[in-house]
Amino acid sequence: MRKNTRPRGVLGIVAVAAVIALSASGCTRGGTNQGGGSNAASPGITDSSITLGITTPLSGAIAGQGTCTVAGVTAYFGALNAAGGVKFGDGKTRTVNIKSYDDGYDPQKSLANFQQMVSDNVFAATAGLGTPTNRAFREAAISQKVPQVLVMTGDPLFSDRKQSPWQLGFVPIYQNEGAAFGKLIAGSGQPHKVAILSQNDDYGKGYVQGFKDAIKGASNVSVVGEQTYEATDTSVDAQLTQLASSGADVFFDAMSITPLAIASLQKAQQLGWKPSWFLPSNTSSPAAILGPGGAAAYPGIYSVSFAKAPQSPAFAKDPDVVKFLADLKQYAKYPDMPAFPHCMWSYMVGATLEQAFKTMTEPTRDSFMTALRNVKGLQAPLMLSGTSVDTTTDGQPAVSSVLVQKYDGKGYATVQNFG
Amino acid sequence: MRNPLSAKPLSVEPQSVKPVATGNRTVRIVVLVLVAVVLLLAPLNLPPFANQTLVRIGVYAVAVLGLNIVMGYTGQVNLGQIFFVGLGAYVTAYGVKQGWNILLVFVLACLIAGVVGLLVALAAARLGGLAIAMVTIALPIVGVPLAKRLEGFTGGSQGISARFTDAPDWSGLYNDQWQYYIILLVTAAGFLLARNLVRGKYGRAFGVVKENEAVAASMGVSPYRTKVLAFTVASIFGGASGFLYLAAVQYTSPETLSFGHSISLLAAMVIGGAGSIAGSLIGGAYYVLVPLLTNAVDPGLTTVSQGAILLIVLFLLPEGLVSLPRVLRRITGRNRDRPGAPQRTVPAPAPGAGSEKQADQHQTEHQAIPDQTDQQQTIQHQTGRQDQA
Amino acid sequence: MGTFIQLVVDGLSTGSIYAALALAIVLVNQATGLINFAQGGLAVLSGYVAYAFVQAGLPLVVAIILAVALSFVLGALAERFLVRRFERGDPDTAVVVTIGLLTLITGIIAVIWSYNNLGFPSLFPLTSVDILGAVVSVRSLATTVTIVVIMVVLQLLFLRTKLGLALRAVADSPASSALSGLPVGRLLMVGWGLAAALGAVAGVLVAPQLTLTPGMLDTALVYALAAVILGGLSSPIGCVVAAWAIGVLENLVAVYVPFIGHDLKIAVPFALIFVILILRPQGLFGRKVVVRV
Repeated sequence: MRKNTRPRGVLGIVAVAAVIALSASGCTRGGTNQGGGSNAASPGITDSSITLGITTPLSGAIAGQGTCTVAGVTAYFGALNAAGGVKFGDGKTRTVNIKSYDDGYDPQKSLANFQQMVSDNVFAATAGLGTPTNRAFREAAISQKVPQVLVMTGDPLFSDRKQSPWQLGFVPIYQNEGAAFGKLIAGSGQPHKVAILSQNDDYGKGYVQGFKDAIKGASNVSVVGEQTYEATDTSVDAQLTQLASSGADVFFDAMSITPLAIASLQKAQQLGWKPSWFLPSNTSSPAAILGPGGAAAYPGIYSVSFAKAPQSPAFAKDPDVVKFLADLKQYAKYPDMPAFPHCMWSYMVGATLEQAFKTMTEPTRDSFMTALRNVKGLQAPLMLSGTSVDTTTDGQPAVSSVLVQKYDGKGYATVQNFG
Repeated sequence: MRNPLSAKPLSVEPQSVKPVATGNRTVRIVVLVLVAVVLLLAPLNLPPFANQTLVRIGVYAVAVLGLNIVMGYTGQVNLGQIFFVGLGAYVTAYGVKQGWNILLVFVLACLIAGVVGLLVALAAARLGGLAIAMVTIALPIVGVPLAKRLEGFTGGSQGISARFTDAPDWSGLYNDQWQYYIILLVTAAGFLLARNLVRGKYGRAFGVVKENEAVAASMGVSPYRTKVLAFTVASIFGGASGFLYLAAVQYTSPETLSFGHSISLLAAMVIGGAGSIAGSLIGGAYYVLVPLLTNAVDPGLTTVSQGAILLIVLFLLPEGLVSLPRVLRRITGRNRDRPGAPQRTVPAPAPGAGSEKQADQHQTEHQAIPDQTDQQQTIQHQTGRQDQA
Repeated sequence: MGTFIQLVVDGLSTGSIYAALALAIVLVNQATGLINFAQGGLAVLSGYVAYAFVQAGLPLVVAIILAVALSFVLGALAERFLVRRFERGDPDTAVVVTIGLLTLITGIIAVIWSYNNLGFPSLFPLTSVDILGAVVSVRSLATTVTIVVIMVVLQLLFLRTKLGLALRAVADSPASSALSGLPVGRLLMVGWGLAAALGAVAGVLVAPQLTLTPGMLDTALVYALAAVILGGLSSPIGCVVAAWAIGVLENLVAVYVPFIGHDLKIAVPFALIFVILILRPQGLFGRKVVVRV
């Protein structure tokens, strides 16, 4: 039994030491008073710098997209910092620091990351990807009055001013993207039978809801088949077999998983089913998906977009695209061609933030939110002409307008009419 | 003495150990009081982030503790613990949304998880070894789409928020401090209950079933009923952990119960120390702290650094972090009395040998079941490799 | 009827993906008595290695052969220098070590090749052929045939060769194998090496369809484990048949039982396991293990 005395002794020493340490450390709450004085700078901003935080999946199944959300913002501000920084509305020039945190698409971890951001004196959380991971710390952000802005989720909740006073979404709500295509079909005047395959989450549901709302009342469009798949599935062959037998001539494929999108383009061909095809903005990459999937076999591949696709030959020499790729390489350690549109989107997030910084008159979160809600008609780099950043409409994220585009064998061209 | 599991001799044993250290008892009480004081005062002095982190450690310590009861103590592979955490969280969120009394919600979170666990166990405990593992894998795998399907209760894939742990005005506390006390209360109660459970006759039954089901049966312990009990207890702890999860995170979604987290819980349990109460607490800390650490190192390299940390720890301490003091003692002890201390070198066991693990919990166990090692050698389990090869 | 047959054929080709990995799991279990979570990770790594060889300009076949050979070495080394330390200890610890290995490999892949999807060329063309009114691609057909061949080879290896017998003996009881003069350590290394090589074949077979990502086989691993348990841990034939059954049944249930649908079809294999194991605890094709006391 003699053995037992030692750990107890150790424990005792630890306990005593802890008590001493605690009583010595005193109260730690005094300094972090945030509500108060009008001109006191908010945490995370000094006269020479401002710190932003991103919690996003950097490991796990959607780490590819998550890496992009960090890379774009980092590249954008990396270039600005190298040129001396951003001149804020209060006349001071500041460099912009980005801190990224991996949440692995786990809500519990994204909340932990948010708490750490607060402790790390981050001015605002931005650009993070994911609906559950952003929802997990939404209420904490509201109660602590920390901006959680330009996040990468199409969940409408983040753009509802009343419910989410410290939030703003960036990408169009999923419903908008679905609706854009629905309108196109409804306006074609031709009879169409539509088959729908959607991801079984708010992403897929949002797309389908927007599409269905847009075709409501259009007598020429009927939905003849509707199936779902799980984001973790390895195959959607069965769904395609089922939908092919429905005889639809239009296929609305609300899918966010790259290999499944390729496989479904291949599978439908094998089955001899060649409908016109709709793909969402994040699975419509010409190089990564449409080429390998053999999309040229279909009468038309439609997608929605607001960003120039760097892979597309049409934009190969576009100055925005050239600078974007160079910035990614130089400042974000991202040498490859972006595999996901999130890289472009978060680059635009950088431009939108810069605009808000330029107009915020005080170094406070309040002033920042006011400035951010007043960005209008901003043509951020990489934006397609005809789209713009507009943060002034309640219920809409920073980007709400999308263009319907049609695949032309190499890249995309904007279309007004179906067919 | 052929049946050391009958209640009487066992309940006597712990008491027969105690009187050895009359002086130690005072030391022990003093230490306990000190620990309690530190735990109670800590949140008032620590920065919010430290409190929030401690809160999350409590959440997962309870989940790991439950897993430890069914796996570490009873030897039944359970890859579905996260399902019960998620279930508890959903029940809590639903109850809070309905405006039910919070105590009732807590009881329901434990109860519903326990009942579901019991039903699963009644069927699963009939199966042996890996089959149980597969049935438990099914829980989170099927649980995720099921949570999406039952949108009315769960909020679907957008999840459900419920706040009930904001500090009330009369307390004068910050939210993180209030949460800390809620979680401290439940976690401390959970750990005390678990400690008593595994030190009592059921704990002995768990141990014998883990070592050898046939022997257990011959001693009059029903392996089936013991497994069902362990599994149910684990589920109840899972449900309690889910309640705490919602107290801490205030949001839950299908991602909460994804299978990967179950694997992480298993890893945390083994890293902390399988078959050890203190190890469960360490496991919970590991589960929460390692992501923070790897984020601080480089958020882009979290996977590789987490894998490396896990392997390094197990390589150095195959019996988990809880064995660190013992291993240190072994090393220093060996150095000190090298000339003539055969008792140090002889028992140096194969790393991770099952019977060694509970050694610091109950020193007397080896006497209680004197012939267990002999019997073990004649057993071949379907899982193949056994402890005492 | 056409749809029905097509669904069956689709299910078989999806099942083949699970079967490829399941065979590797059976092999490592037969050879070392362990469930190896890192199996999927090793297979993915082999896919990336083959990809790197192709990028370096080697012909695909050569790249695959090299990747398979390298995987054998890697598997053997992992056994010798990592898993060996835990083989005599608590099986739970050993399993967690394989989890750690999986995490580490996934992380290393991500560091080297990023998380982006990389297209992997296939040995077989994507052209399709008609079978009983159902369409099937030459690729899935060839994948299926390859898996059947591997399955037969494995079955023969275990039942008909000295090596197979020795591997099984070591897995069953290392102590008595050592007593009877078997080189236990080397056999364990060979077992892991073979399993890793087989995993490599699985990896390159499915990579063209799933595209290379660090977590390419995560979902497949769960199905593969289900197939292994369902088929019986000791039977290559059993696990392939089980994998096919899972693929086909999933499809049919999802389509013809609307209440379950595509979202809950993943419950099918587990329900199946449950029912079958209650009736036949050793799995569909497994050998009965006699427990002596």
